[in-house]
Amino acid sequence: MTQKLLDLAGIGAARLQLAWVSSAEAQRFVEVVSATTAAVKEQGPLDTKAFADALTAAEATLTGETLRWMVGKEVAITTKGDVYGRKWDARTFESLLDQVLEREYHKNLILQAIKNGHTSVRAISASIGIKLQRVSYLLADMEKTSMVEFKGMEDSKPVFAAL
Amino acid sequence: MGDFEPKIVAFLCNWCAYAGADLAGVSRLQYPPNIRTVRVMCSGRVDPLFVIKAFKEGCDGVLVSG
Repeated sequence: MTQKLLDLAGIGAARLQLAWVSSAEAQRFVEVVSATTAAVKEQGPLDTKAFADALTAAEATLTGETLRWMVGKEVAITTKGDVYGRKWDARTFESLLDQVLEREYHKNLILQAIKNGHTSVRAISASIGIKLQRVSYLLADMEKTSMVEFKGMEDSKPVFAAL
Repeated sequence: MGDFEPKIVAFLCNWCAYAGADLAGVSRLQYPPNIRTVRVMCSGRVDPLFVIKAFKEGCDGVLVSG
């Protein structure tokens, strides 16, 4: 999931590697480290300043309740069933998790853009590169959950503020 | 690009990966010096937020090994 988030943020899933190495597998450890170093080297240095907003949004996404709840409940929902008694197929659940991840990440990106001073919908869309319609749609959701508040119209453009 | 040496933070589980790394050291096996190890008691301890924090602090890659 974190790798997917890194891809969404533009940082690159290849920068995060996961490997199992037992305490007796010294040679395998060497292989894992060499492979990781090669993969990361290929990605190039990470420009922390350029990705500052993306990283802040990613942090907020992972700290948020929605994702934490979903990940926490995954085992129960795919084995025992949800509150309606339906047992979810693991793949369906994972695909839903991916959608929620993208949604939450975009919402946090929008919030970051507003905090950076882009308060109109058009300005937000231009600064983060997400379509106007999607920004508008997510802002409605964010208004409902009190992440942002509608401040009014400026030059017949809707303006929002972070809460 | 050929000069670039990535900084990689490696979260290693004490019982498995860290011990494996230790064995590699004792056996005098050579491996790239780019990794900075952080010993954790279990790889399950590693929260995705650790990964983001590592990137924020300036590393280029993260390895989680259990």
